[in-house]
Amino acid sequence: MWGIFLESVVIFKNYMGWHENHFLAGLYLFALLYLWLTEKDKRRRILFVYAPTLLLLLFFCPLFRKVFVRLMEDSETYYRLLWLLQMSLVSAYGLIRLMGRHRRIGLAAVCLLIIACGDYVYDGEHISRAENAYHLPQEAVDIVDMIEPEEGRITVLVPADLIYYIRQYSTDIELPYGREMLIARWDYYNAMYEAMEKAEVIDTQAFVELTRGYPCAYVILKEDREASEPLTDYGFSVYGQVGEFVIYKDMTLQGAQ
Amino acid sequence: MTAVISFIFWLAVIPFCIGLIPANFIPPEKRSPGFAALAGYFGMWALFEVSAVPAVLWVEYNNFRTASVLFSALSLLSAAAGIWLLYRNGKAGKPGLLTGKQGTGSGFRRKKKISAADIEWLLFFVLLGFQLYKAAAFASFDGDDAYYVVESLIAQEAGVMYRILPLTGGSTGLDVRHAMAVFPMWTAFVSVRAGVHATIVSHVVMPLVLIPLTYLLYYEIGRTLFGKAPKDSAGEAVQAERKPGITARADGVFHRENLPVFMIMMAMFQIFGNVSIYTNETFFLTRTWQGKALAGALVIPALFWVFLQIYDKGVRNRRTAAGFWMLLVCIHMTAGVCSSIAVFLVCILDALMTFCLAVAERDWKILFKVGAACIPNVIYMAVYVFMAYSYLL
Repeated sequence: MWGIFLESVVIFKNYMGWHENHFLAGLYLFALLYLWLTEKDKRRRILFVYAPTLLLLLFFCPLFRKVFVRLMEDSETYYRLLWLLQMSLVSAYGLIRLMGRHRRIGLAAVCLLIIACGDYVYDGEHISRAENAYHLPQEAVDIVDMIEPEEGRITVLVPADLIYYIRQYSTDIELPYGREMLIARWDYYNAMYEAMEKAEVIDTQAFVELTRGYPCAYVILKEDREASEPLTDYGFSVYGQVGEFVIYKDMTLQGAQ
Repeated sequence: MTAVISFIFWLAVIPFCIGLIPANFIPPEKRSPGFAALAGYFGMWALFEVSAVPAVLWVEYNNFRTASVLFSALSLLSAAAGIWLLYRNGKAGKPGLLTGKQGTGSGFRRKKKISAADIEWLLFFVLLGFQLYKAAAFASFDGDDAYYVVESLIAQEAGVMYRILPLTGGSTGLDVRHAMAVFPMWTAFVSVRAGVHATIVSHVVMPLVLIPLTYLLYYEIGRTLFGKAPKDSAGEAVQAERKPGITARADGVFHRENLPVFMIMMAMFQIFGNVSIYTNETFFLTRTWQGKALAGALVIPALFWVFLQIYDKGVRNRRTAAGFWMLLVCIHMTAGVCSSIAVFLVCILDALMTFCLAVAERDWKILFKVGAACIPNVIYMAVYVFMAYSYLL
């Protein structure tokens, strides 16, 4: 039980971002404490004081965590229980009560505190200027535009960089493996993935045998990807290039000519 | 142009008209266009759940088309019912469903001077506009899109729900945990009706709709919190501080001018709430189009909103308006549309709040009332368990 409790503490700390010196949780706990001491309205006390406090107690309760994980069959989503705290809502309400009549100076001070204790969402590494209306990398769009069949579906082998995007643009492109292979903790095995991504140098003969097992109409490799022998020696031809991605077409497949 | 008209119809007109139904069953002083819009969205999503979930589970071929036809019919009927209620109220000279007042006089008054509150509102709208600009002009990568967005696109392009593996394109058995959370299918429905690629709808249109909708909810919460001084069970204004003779209103805490301050703070918390990848604020602005983000940013705060309405009305001595209970049921059903975990989460919050309320008000009937409002969630969880473990039978 103690171990489960400690796990909850770690989840809580990770959620609140303490390890990265973010202290919005401090602002929340301060607002919650202030509301404990000053909120007189019974019904608002229930919403903004008692319910969040009970939730916090539940969150750290090992027995509750065991039940939650058993019911959901998933321990990775336990942090979502903290969504019920609605920290922004409770903090804003508590801080406005604290400000009282000093509205303007209070607002300025709170905004500065939020900036100091929080983290700006738009400077994350996963946010970038959109290259098109789909909000997908333009290279993925261009590649699919080149290879998409007029009718029916084809299987295409793509590097890990493109796996997330190809099918968001067209579901007529099928993949030998998908995102599941890129999440290490999910621990899937796929021989094609091993040959494509894990091998330092692609063993062309074995690689080609695997691609034809699906069969992959196209294989897309980064131009600097090393192979024991060129794919063109095994019935592939260079179909085109988009940025750093070289598109190979398997000419041995029926209808490829 | 057709796409724009279709978006306006399915994302503004239809939900707004549906929202007139619960608005008819709440006290006139609680009515507002914001209430109608929010209640309409939750009502619409509830209708989508009853249309799509059975189709996902029990219709094998063209299940998306089946769900779409059913949902279109149900939402058009509900919208027509809302318009009929509006017309009937107007004809009978009763308080309006949108403003709670008779007549339709303009709510805008000419003011000679710009007040501090006006500047604060302007500041809030700048923050909101900034978030909308970022949502439209910037791409936010999230690996889960390879599942959720592709599910929407498969429904749009192939007309089937949850029968094709989104990650690779192979056929698959039903993944009940994801299949019952049909929010991506609603996105697909909007995409099909507008004739716009589902990925564009997910990444651009949904944030432009859901971010303002979420702030509309915060506005309604703020209106409840700061619109007037709260009253205790005896109907007396509660003192905000321990200062004899100073009421809460006089102290400024519950003054309506705090509303723009509240909105600015909420916007700041969203923009700077990225203290980790797990917070609901991060989900709200970086994965707005995913059901789980909607659960954290809209569904859970909506529970606070409804409970505030019910609580402010009092549960012991007065009959609480039926419209709020209808809304509570719809919010519970929307949780199921968003994610199966959200169903469990809202039940926990309901249980905690209701238990505290029952103890504080010494009114145990509230447990049964909220319990009854949770019936859709119980059915949802029962179906989930049955479908997930039916292979054992």
